[in-house]
Amino acid sequence: MTDELGALTTIFTEFYYWITVVLMFLIHVGFCMYEVGASRYKHHQHTLMKNTMLIPLVTVTWFLFGWWIYWAFPTGPGLAPSIMNESAALITDDSAFSAKWYLPNSELMAVNLGDHISGVFWAAFLLFSWTAASIVSGAVIERITTFAFGILAIAIGSVFWSIDAAWGWHFDGWMLKILGYHDAYASGVIHAVAGGFALGVLAVLGPRIGKFSSSGEPRNIGPRNPWLVTIGLFLIYTGFWGFYAACNIPIYDLGPEYGMEGVTYFTATTIYVTPTTLSGITMNFLMSLSGGLLAGYVVSKGDPFWTYSSGLAGIICASAGNDLYHPIQSLIIGMIGVVIAYKMHYWVERRFKIDDAVGAVAVHGYAGFAGLVICGFVLNGYPSSGYSVGAMWDGTTYAAINPLGMFIGAIIMFFVLGMIPGYIIARVLNGIGKLRIPREVELAGLDYQIMEEAKEDERTVASSSS
Amino acid sequence: MATVSNWIDHLNKPAEDVAGAIYPGVGSEGILVLILAVIWIGWTVVSSKQESDKLSKLARRRPSSNAWKSNITDG
Repeated sequence: MTDELGALTTIFTEFYYWITVVLMFLIHVGFCMYEVGASRYKHHQHTLMKNTMLIPLVTVTWFLFGWWIYWAFPTGPGLAPSIMNESAALITDDSAFSAKWYLPNSELMAVNLGDHISGVFWAAFLLFSWTAASIVSGAVIERITTFAFGILAIAIGSVFWSIDAAWGWHFDGWMLKILGYHDAYASGVIHAVAGGFALGVLAVLGPRIGKFSSSGEPRNIGPRNPWLVTIGLFLIYTGFWGFYAACNIPIYDLGPEYGMEGVTYFTATTIYVTPTTLSGITMNFLMSLSGGLLAGYVVSKGDPFWTYSSGLAGIICASAGNDLYHPIQSLIIGMIGVVIAYKMHYWVERRFKIDDAVGAVAVHGYAGFAGLVICGFVLNGYPSSGYSVGAMWDGTTYAAINPLGMFIGAIIMFFVLGMIPGYIIARVLNGIGKLRIPREVELAGLDYQIMEEAKEDERTVASSSS
Repeated sequence: MATVSNWIDHLNKPAEDVAGAIYPGVGSEGILVLILAVIWIGWTVVSSKQESDKLSKLARRRPSSNAWKSNITDG
């Protein structure tokens, strides 16, 4: 960096993403608190430990291969040629945004005076990965082994979300070109895929003991600590601010980027390098949060657990198009998403005996799916990219956003990259007897031994006289 | 191991030489990645065994579903 303006832009961008990473850590803190609050006393410590250990597991695998997948897979491979090298193969050549630079043994994957951005960008995406894994974590509490959860966390956090991000979130992704897919703040690429993955796992894992009566009637196993649940969700909201900011590029000159001679236009952009404003998306974030809370309060008849969760579901549902929506549109879409998520949760629970302990599939999966479909209608006709505008199925240009493309995109996110892989991996883990804890341990509580040892320590200390 | 031994000398180099990796042992990245993979897989194997042992030990004891209540500490 030798000129002041260039240096300032680079250092600002570096610091911008660093701040988003710190903010997004609160999502994980929130998930931890929320899950502990939702679990029963005898499972608390295990619940927390399980969600804590996804941090190193997803981080290590994100370093080893998750980040590489994101940069290698935008073309499918084989579905649409890259705009960088015009090849539909994996992007591993010498082009500027090639996966080659993000292999774990690349010199850019470390302290490098020639690159101030890759590390913080890697970290921002990693925090998205933790979020994806954390979404699954809540659904499976009190009966999954830590080993199985670790494998599943790596699968969703470092493989499947990374593939879907390459397909539907990368500026060169085939879903933008062929389908006109648009998902600015990740209704699908984080939430629908993780919700779908959780549903696939739950179908194999089965319900907690006692969740359903012998006649199949569901019983409520409500949160044991409503305050932790509340604070946890508020922290998730807070971290979501960082998430939204991290989905943007803070400052970019779109004139030369789009090949416009002599045009200079600096703006914040979405991940697709299309213009938006941090100011506008902040309004939409708050309005969709409010819409979710309003709808959740009514639809759940004031149930605190669902009302707080609905705030999150409202944001998630509006997120796909929150770069362009009017704030009132965001609010209404948030409300619609909450009603769908709430109704679907109880229908699926009764119909298929799915025990989603924290409503993760509903809040993330169904609301995310609905958000993608709604976005297809509301943003129908907007370009999915600034690089070119073309017809659907063409592949060499970018299709405009449209309802059919967004519906297909939602199916890909929820089912193809979410539910089906989750189901298959859970089946394999179940087949080798590693998925679920023994029945006796589930009844006794996963913390039984730790609690017994703590009690023993207490007795020893209490009986000592010196 | 040191990639840089004098910052003044280093920053006085042509810009393309300054812009680069500065961690110790540049060129040994492949070995570091291999070590990380071994740590990850090794940890998975060891922790899985520990968990299996712990779960089966507790399962054999068959504590009742309310036994945990007698283990609540006074604080």
